[in-house]
Amino acid sequence: MILRIDLSAKLALVGLLWVCAFMLPWAYQAFLCVLVITARFAIPQLRPQSERSSKAFSRFLLYSVAVATFVILLNSMLIRGGATMGSILGFSLYEEGLFFGVRTASRLLLLTYAVLLFFVSTPLKELIRFLQQKGLSPSFTLILLLTLHFLDHLPARIHQIFLAQQARGAPVDAGIVSRSRALLSILSPLVLSSIVESIDRGTALELRGFLNRPQDARLITQPTAERNALTIILLAGTIILLLATLSRWLLG
Amino acid sequence: MSKSIRQRIAEELTGPALPFVAFCIALNLTAGQVTAALKIPLYLDSIGTILVAVLVGPWAAVLCGSTANLLAAAFGNPTMMFFIPVVAVIGAFTGVVAKLGWFRKWYLVCLGGILQGILAAMVSAPISAYLFSGVMMAGTDFLVLYFRSLGNTLMNSVLYQGLASDPADKLVSYLIVFLLVRNLPQRLLARLHGAANLRTPDPTP
Repeated sequence: MILRIDLSAKLALVGLLWVCAFMLPWAYQAFLCVLVITARFAIPQLRPQSERSSKAFSRFLLYSVAVATFVILLNSMLIRGGATMGSILGFSLYEEGLFFGVRTASRLLLLTYAVLLFFVSTPLKELIRFLQQKGLSPSFTLILLLTLHFLDHLPARIHQIFLAQQARGAPVDAGIVSRSRALLSILSPLVLSSIVESIDRGTALELRGFLNRPQDARLITQPTAERNALTIILLAGTIILLLATLSRWLLG
Repeated sequence: MSKSIRQRIAEELTGPALPFVAFCIALNLTAGQVTAALKIPLYLDSIGTILVAVLVGPWAAVLCGSTANLLAAAFGNPTMMFFIPVVAVIGAFTGVVAKLGWFRKWYLVCLGGILQGILAAMVSAPISAYLFSGVMMAGTDFLVLYFRSLGNTLMNSVLYQGLASDPADKLVSYLIVFLLVRNLPQRLLARLHGAANLRTPDPTP
């Protein structure tokens, strides 16, 4: 039995945080949100694995604060109950709406921060390898890896087709109807070239026997790792929280 | 004997379908780049799912849409993860509609797009209302605000907003896919599982 923050522990942590987002009062959820953000900086295993992930985390943090503020303000204005808490731009803010907004915003932030923390600290290739060890089909593994390949190349290909169509006189700067027609002139060669590439790749896979003998074609086959005590603790916490909430609900 | 979901997906994902589904997942994630370059007010974030549903099959489309949303979450937009049921419904419905041969006639494509929009609005409304309080930081939030100011509940307001915007969006996506697949050479389409969805059945026995 080992104790470390590996992929299974991170997945269990996401599960626990999701349960907390639905079961705990908003003040605890807000506290957990602060803990998640702190963990991203304090725990090496939860730090972003690339510059891109780090930027995505910061960008989403700003976006989520804007969404949360918007959720709170909108509900404070629209749900009219309780005392008036103040006013913004001539709109009154009501107590009932304010608390509903705070509850919703804290739940939303905790749900999204949990997912975000997992993905920024886990390189996709590592996640794919982990899922494959846990029994993910080789076909699906291949789809994920090919998607990453396409994601790397597609923006450049779109840009290339866009420039080519522009050079041929496609109305990329005309009215909305003409631009919509130009959209088809960009998507058509893109889809056509992708089908051609798919046929080539599909044939190559068939020739290598990937589709006929999936068991032999597994990209990585490693023995299952030791059980992680941290994963078990987090899963136990999730189950205890679920049971506690259920029994409280049943006993009234 | 009925087949398991895994078997059905495996049946659809053969040969060129595997790389094609991967391309469509990537297309779902990058199509916004094309519309942004052309300054067209459309997301087209399910165009890849619709393409897979028509050219491969419904199960592959469900896989395509769900994976695209999962990857969108991985690339910094975790809210997308909660809308996996919506893209799953889009993939399944479009796949069924395509199997019924609706992608052979333009008016059936229009009808399918509108029905798809209504279905998508109905599935996304509870997620949007209960998880996000109807706020998605998009222009459509003002529609929710308008419906709420008329005295509707949050759930109804989000549903009405969805019904007002989703059918138009899906109609355009369906028409784009219809025009795209119509212009593709039959020789290439024949290599994909769902190409039969686009051919008129031969009346002779």
